[in-house]
Amino acid sequence: MTQKRLFSLLMAGMLSVSLLAGCGGSSDSSADASADAAQNTADTAADASASAADSDLAYVLGNGKMKIGYTVYEPMNYTDANGEFTGFDTEFAEAVCEKLGVAPEFVEINWDTKVVELDAKSIDCIWNGMTITDDLKQNIAISDPYVKNMQVAVIKSANADKYTDVASLASASLVAEAGSAGQSVIEDEANGLSGASLTTVTKQTDALLEVASGASDAAILDWTLAKSMIGEGTDFADLVMIDGLELSVEEYGIGFRKDSDLCDKVNEIMGELIADGTLPALADKYGLGLAE
Amino acid sequence: MSTSASVIFSQLLHCFQINCTIFFVTLLLALPLGLVVSFGSMSRFAPLAWLVKTFVWIIRGTPLMLQIIVIFYGPGLLWDGDLMPRITAVCVAFVINYACYFSEIFRGGIQSIPRGQYEAGQVLGMTKPQIFFRVTLLQVVKRVIPPLGNEFMTLIKDTSLANVIATKEIIMMSKEFTTKGLIWPLFSTALFFLAFVGILTLAFGWFERKMDYFRV
Repeated sequence: MTQKRLFSLLMAGMLSVSLLAGCGGSSDSSADASADAAQNTADTAADASASAADSDLAYVLGNGKMKIGYTVYEPMNYTDANGEFTGFDTEFAEAVCEKLGVAPEFVEINWDTKVVELDAKSIDCIWNGMTITDDLKQNIAISDPYVKNMQVAVIKSANADKYTDVASLASASLVAEAGSAGQSVIEDEANGLSGASLTTVTKQTDALLEVASGASDAAILDWTLAKSMIGEGTDFADLVMIDGLELSVEEYGIGFRKDSDLCDKVNEIMGELIADGTLPALADKYGLGLAE
Repeated sequence: MSTSASVIFSQLLHCFQINCTIFFVTLLLALPLGLVVSFGSMSRFAPLAWLVKTFVWIIRGTPLMLQIIVIFYGPGLLWDGDLMPRITAVCVAFVINYACYFSEIFRGGIQSIPRGQYEAGQVLGMTKPQIFFRVTLLQVVKRVIPPLGNEFMTLIKDTSLANVIATKEIIMMSKEFTTKGLIWPLFSTALFFLAFVGILTLAFGWFERKMDYFRV
């Protein structure tokens, strides 16, 4: 009796051990494989275009559709008041798919598991205003940056010689919208502006008014907003951005599977869409700034 | 752009259909599968019994959330296989998981029937299937109703786990409103679950009364 029970226990134990070993083994080997793959491309860039069997581009073309992972996020991917799915990234992706000759299929994902979705091939790309970070770069292929946002300093054109860099602003009077990214940039000691006197206002446009009236020396605000609000033809024609002063720069890219040749192809198409004016028109429509 | 409450409720209701689909598909498939699994775990053929018991241990011993993730992403990550549609993967995970829980409830119900009834059946010359279907089964049904009621109610609430693989059920939908600055839709989802469980409670009460005509 006891022998029988012992045998049963052993069997159960062996089963569970083999199951666990099975899982561990396979994940190890896939990790090794991806590490190797990364090593290879680092060594020889020419090898990246691999054989047809490994081609992500061929895989997507073969499917006749590109599965685009997104989350609902205005103004990138969202449903407008008419119930139509739209957004900058939506239209951008549709334009790219048209050139690629495949149908776009938008797949809603959880942002936390976007890389898992990519690896499992439930999506072919992450296209959702994804900020390019070093962490992401290690794990996935990322397209050239297409949209950029940053905080810039807006001053009177008369003061263009006086304020040229962060150091010259350090003792100036600054203005920013309360709670905005601009305010965080000023208050973050790493940026070297925390010593300046700060006035907070309730609207970004109020910040520009402060500068135009001379109440403050410089406003720190969104580049996209500053670009559309100041300069010739606007009410703030005598305001300019300090050239080359870019704070907390954020660039958006499209994520693909590691070493994917689809990424190169999309980069190529993106170049065409910029050259023919499609992408700049979209950026204007959604009030975004393209990355150069 | 403000969204009116009625629009939000109709969208939530629309997504709650996903929860209901998972619920009914799971019941439809997991109840019979659970019975099969319970036979497996009671099998006199020891290797089969242990295999089934080990399987039940693994399924009951790991989070359902993890099982959903493994079933959906697993094929693509491990052997580059084709993925099932999200809702299918969710249903597969729920059916397997709940079949294991149901199997233990059924086992308890079947083994609670006094041995004497089997012997009496044998004396009368009945075959084993005849004894099970004509003598045991209805008594088992009566006995397993209360524990099954518990599982049914857990099940409808568990369906919200589907959002772990971005299946747009009611909680995921309501969180979308949260990102737009509306918090109340998230909490209002409780009403849907409460109403559903309310109906279930009434149904189980009615069914228990129906089964009252015979006493075990």
